[in-house]
Amino acid sequence: MATVSMGRMRRTRSWLRRNAVSYVMLLPFAGLFAGFLIWPLANSLYLSFTDFDGVSPPKLTGLENFRRLFAEDDRFRHALSNTGTYVAATVVLGTLLSLGLALAFRGSSWSHRVMRTIFFLPSVTSTIAIMLIWKWIFDPNDFGLANTVIRWFGHSTAIEWLATPGLSVPILVLMAVWGGMGYGMVIFVAGLNSIPEEYYEAARIDGASTWQQFRRITLPLLRPVTTYVVVTSLIAAFQIFEAVYIVFRTNANTIGGVLDSGLMIVPYLYDIGFTHFQLGYASAIAWVLFVIIFVISLVNLRIGRAFKEL
Amino acid sequence: MRRTFASIACIGLMTVLGAGCATSGTSQPKQASTNAPATITYWSTGGDDDTRIFQKAADLYHQSHPNVTIKVQTLTWDDSYAKLLAAATSRTGPDIVSGGLTWMIQFGRRGGMVDLRKFGIESLKPQAHPQMWKSAASPDGSVYGIPIDMSTELFYYRTDLLAKANVTPPKTWDELTTAITKLKAAGVKKPFSIDWGNLDWIGYFNFLYQAGGSFYTPDCKPALHTPQAKRALEFWISLYEKHGAPTANITGENALDTGTAMTYSGNWIGNTIPSAKPKLKGKWAVTTLPAGPASSAAFIGGRSIGVTAFSKYAAQSADFIKFLYTDQAIDAMIGVAKGRAVPYIPPRPDSVTKADFPPGQAAAVTQSLKTGMPAPGCPGWDEAAPDVAKQLQSAILGKSDSATALTKAAKIMETNAA
Repeated sequence: MATVSMGRMRRTRSWLRRNAVSYVMLLPFAGLFAGFLIWPLANSLYLSFTDFDGVSPPKLTGLENFRRLFAEDDRFRHALSNTGTYVAATVVLGTLLSLGLALAFRGSSWSHRVMRTIFFLPSVTSTIAIMLIWKWIFDPNDFGLANTVIRWFGHSTAIEWLATPGLSVPILVLMAVWGGMGYGMVIFVAGLNSIPEEYYEAARIDGASTWQQFRRITLPLLRPVTTYVVVTSLIAAFQIFEAVYIVFRTNANTIGGVLDSGLMIVPYLYDIGFTHFQLGYASAIAWVLFVIIFVISLVNLRIGRAFKEL
Repeated sequence: MRRTFASIACIGLMTVLGAGCATSGTSQPKQASTNAPATITYWSTGGDDDTRIFQKAADLYHQSHPNVTIKVQTLTWDDSYAKLLAAATSRTGPDIVSGGLTWMIQFGRRGGMVDLRKFGIESLKPQAHPQMWKSAASPDGSVYGIPIDMSTELFYYRTDLLAKANVTPPKTWDELTTAITKLKAAGVKKPFSIDWGNLDWIGYFNFLYQAGGSFYTPDCKPALHTPQAKRALEFWISLYEKHGAPTANITGENALDTGTAMTYSGNWIGNTIPSAKPKLKGKWAVTTLPAGPASSAAFIGGRSIGVTAFSKYAAQSADFIKFLYTDQAIDAMIGVAKGRAVPYIPPRPDSVTKADFPPGQAAAVTQSLKTGMPAPGCPGWDEAAPDVAKQLQSAILGKSDSATALTKAAKIMETNAA
């Protein structure tokens, strides 16, 4: 018995000698991770089962928030539908344009580098600043750039860009695709440049056309990069907030634009939590959003893997 | 070893969840003399000019109360409500807050604000605008906030364009629509627009009260099922559908500057036009809104001020709020406003004429404040208002008929009052 105990102690001491320093060095990160990620997550999960209003102590309400969300909340359904349309359009257009740009500017010449830098600029610019500029572009006042430009082409009546419900989602898609395609382009350029040139040489010798080379070599070998770009842009698109909050806000307590035409899930969550004092309900929305993103990302990864195995 | 780690992790998680469950404990503010040492933080919703105005009063207060220092900080209108909620949730932050007229009721009824009656604030009631005081105070009698300034909606017009169409400023709804028709006939492409309250509940507010309706009954039950409410909404819709008011938000001064003949806007644009739109010099004037079938009531805006429930200096903060109603403070604040050409209308009707108004505007403001009404001070109104606005928008944009929109709006008000 004593021998077993001695042996265990020796192993523990040896483990500590080898690993103690590493774990101590990890402690600051682990502390921050627990404090700023695990704790808020656990707290928000707990709050999603309460009626917390932000000021009074929370009371447990069981699954009531989730029942209300799926059975009664028309605004949530509207936000979900808007978000679905927005995500589909943004991810498809964004990925295609990113790939197009990468194919156009993949080289190492001076002009290609300049073009890549220009297209990448929105990714390193403050989102708030960009959104304020978009708001100015679509402003119905005399200084609104979009209306000024259409006036140059003889359109005398100003378009009420942000007050026309049918234009809200397309405007949001335009802003997102413009802002995100530079980032996707850089990733695709890295992917394109990692494909060995020999494959193309062999294909050319075999008489493959440019389109055939693209379809049979480029696209299959870009699959991991494409999956990465699609999954990250999908997650980012689901989490759209600033564009709706800044561009479509008309006064202190109104989010989502005219008739909620630009309402998305995260701005709705914010609206419910911070202007309707329903932080418990807002937490439930946040967890539903998490599940949606998790499931879609999982499906996406599975599809990517299935294609690889074909 | 693994088991030990698992136990520690479990205990840690339980502690975390336990801490989560303990969110928002309540604490009582300490009572103290109004002269006891204090450093007070005051979050003022508005712009930097407003902050300078209130800081001037704070500095004056410091002269008579050397132990009390008040630092005024700006919160923008867009972010203020959320920041106040974050402060109330964490029970840290400002001692004094000012924001929308009815905001303090919403925070107060949840325990986030001090009932100022315990500091004798009701002594100020006779001095304040009666309707403003009523809206800022809770229906149950609690006073979590009191008005600190006022604003109102006015009718601005281009004198040159009205003269061209041989139109006089309209005094009634019928005269307004006739004027629009005449202006169109005279070749004025943009006869009318609404700035303050465009597609929003504030825009509807004017027509509702002018038609003899109201959002709530005196005991705070939704009152949008009335014929007056329907008539008001239908008239408002006709201004967009039939008379071409733009649905986009165009500020009043820009509307006038770009050829709009008449616009509903806040009194503040009167202070902005002379410096921002010099080309309009001599071409614009202002009067009260055209009256409806029942009255000429216009919307009165303004802010309220209160003391947070977690303030350590509630007595000193309440005393400063009382100081804001003195002649000394009002004169000083108006002085700063005049120097910066910004509008500041004090909460005391007897001091309104001291404020800085552009020529011709003082009479319109005084009259509008006399007959106007502020936002309803009923529980749940601030939460319901944006959703009520969406229902009104659905009627304006032809997505639903006016009766359905009003029924849905009333339902929203009822749900939020619960």
